[in-house]
Amino acid sequence: MAGPAPGERAAAIETDGLTKFYGRERGIENVTFSVEAGEVFGFLGPNGAGKTTTIRTLLDLLHPTRGSARVFGLDSGRDSVAIRARIGNLPGDFGYGRAASGREALSLLARLRGVGLDRAEELARRFGADLERPLGKLSRGNRQKVGLITALFHRPDLLIFDEPTSGLDPLMQEEFLALVGEERERGCAVFVSSHELDEVERVCDRVGIIRGGRLIAVERVVDLLRRTRRKAAVEFAAPVDPAALRAIPGVADLTAENDRVTFSVGGDVDAVVKEIARHPVADFQLAHPTLEEVFLTYYVEERR
Amino acid sequence: MSGLIRSQLDERRRSLLAWGLPLGLMSALVVAIYPSVQDALATAIREYPPALKEAFGIGELSTVEQYLEAEMLSLIVPLAAGYLAVRSVASGLSGAAESGRLDVLLSAPLSRRRLVASGFAATAIELASVLAVALALTLAGSLLAGAGLSVGSSLAGFANVWPLALLFAGLGVVVTGWSLRTSVVTGSVAGVLVAMYVADLVGRLDPGLDWIRYASVFRYYGRAIEDGVDPVAFAGVTAVAVALAALGAALFERRDISV
Repeated sequence: MAGPAPGERAAAIETDGLTKFYGRERGIENVTFSVEAGEVFGFLGPNGAGKTTTIRTLLDLLHPTRGSARVFGLDSGRDSVAIRARIGNLPGDFGYGRAASGREALSLLARLRGVGLDRAEELARRFGADLERPLGKLSRGNRQKVGLITALFHRPDLLIFDEPTSGLDPLMQEEFLALVGEERERGCAVFVSSHELDEVERVCDRVGIIRGGRLIAVERVVDLLRRTRRKAAVEFAAPVDPAALRAIPGVADLTAENDRVTFSVGGDVDAVVKEIARHPVADFQLAHPTLEEVFLTYYVEERR
Repeated sequence: MSGLIRSQLDERRRSLLAWGLPLGLMSALVVAIYPSVQDALATAIREYPPALKEAFGIGELSTVEQYLEAEMLSLIVPLAAGYLAVRSVASGLSGAAESGRLDVLLSAPLSRRRLVASGFAATAIELASVLAVALALTLAGSLLAGAGLSVGSSLAGFANVWPLALLFAGLGVVVTGWSLRTSVVTGSVAGVLVAMYVADLVGRLDPGLDWIRYASVFRYYGRAIEDGVDPVAFAGVTAVAVALAALGAALFERRDISV
């Protein structure tokens, strides 16, 4: 893969046919995508889909079987030390041995990166992280807070998070999502792997969907949601004729029972909402699509 | 790199107590009881078959240095130090991989070669520290019991263990190039350690099998407490240990970091 032309800004991440086999077992195959500077990119897939394999290959912890990955225009294998100077990484389950405290871990990382601990202290206060107790004595969530600090404290240009909110309590999850927004504002690219569609929807600009080691789609989040069918349930104040709803393009599986109408809707929901609003409504629910429903959308399209 | 070495040494502080203290106390006990058993020993040793004495480095046991050599420095200290060496190097690499620490460190701008070099250096310092603690306690035991152990000779005896043990650390790094499981690294190298000791023993017991000793680092170990440190053997074994660590670092660089 050629590097960026003079004057052209290199993508934060650019993979080309990235493939990793563990012996004969496929980890990922032909994964090609790019993440631009200042972009938050979600990497969505179920457990075992290849999200962590992709991340570990980007970090040069795994050597690709085929294909290549470039980070800021640098080769992920040959230039990995220079790349890692500019990135922050949070593994899925942050670990650093049992005996060392968060402060000891951060002190060593600060020395390796040639930075101070000012921002680490600031982040520890913000997250309520305990840097003094041995990491082995912390709960998973509190250990993950220390992990977040190790990823963020040196103000990297690219953040890589592997299932970052697992183990975090809801308040801390909110704090994390806010922080991702702040990092984007700063111009930092963020690569977040997750199996939570809700999390990806709230924070990401684009999303890559991976399953069985293959990247099956890369979409803007708004487009992804538009294409995915969602389940709707409306409780009208009085019985209504559902024919007008049924006639709206994208509406399917409609059933009406007394005042209650349920259906699925794909694409734009604007016409649906307007039609419903013509009648007095007691309750309205538009269910968030599950990850499986998202995958189903793409499988159906692939088979066509 | 010094920060990385210091950090690893901080974590291994306990080994000074866990390894240096028992080895030192055992050695101190050996030299402390020597004056009271000296005569009985001399009589008993005269009855031993010469081949057995040669094989186990028993000698005449007419000095406290010879007694310390036979009881501690010919078997227990080198085997314990060799095992400590591989355990130490494994904890810095395969142990770190198992705990997730390696992922964190290798997310920083740190090359794998530098990581391996610092782990090996930390092991070398840890070994020297443990041997120094054992030596200090041994000398203290001699002083208290009035055994008259020579400082220079015992220094040579304990110092001579260092390159031998370091070789097994180097071997541990090589195995880490293939496996990041601590049990595999320590188990296989401990097996080699014992096999090398047995090969040297067999070669010494049977002159017809002397050639087998060339496969063992114990052939180059000698009896430094009596004969002084052989500088060629000391430097040679140290060089082989460093070469093995360098080979291991090259293998480690090529491998995937996954347990």
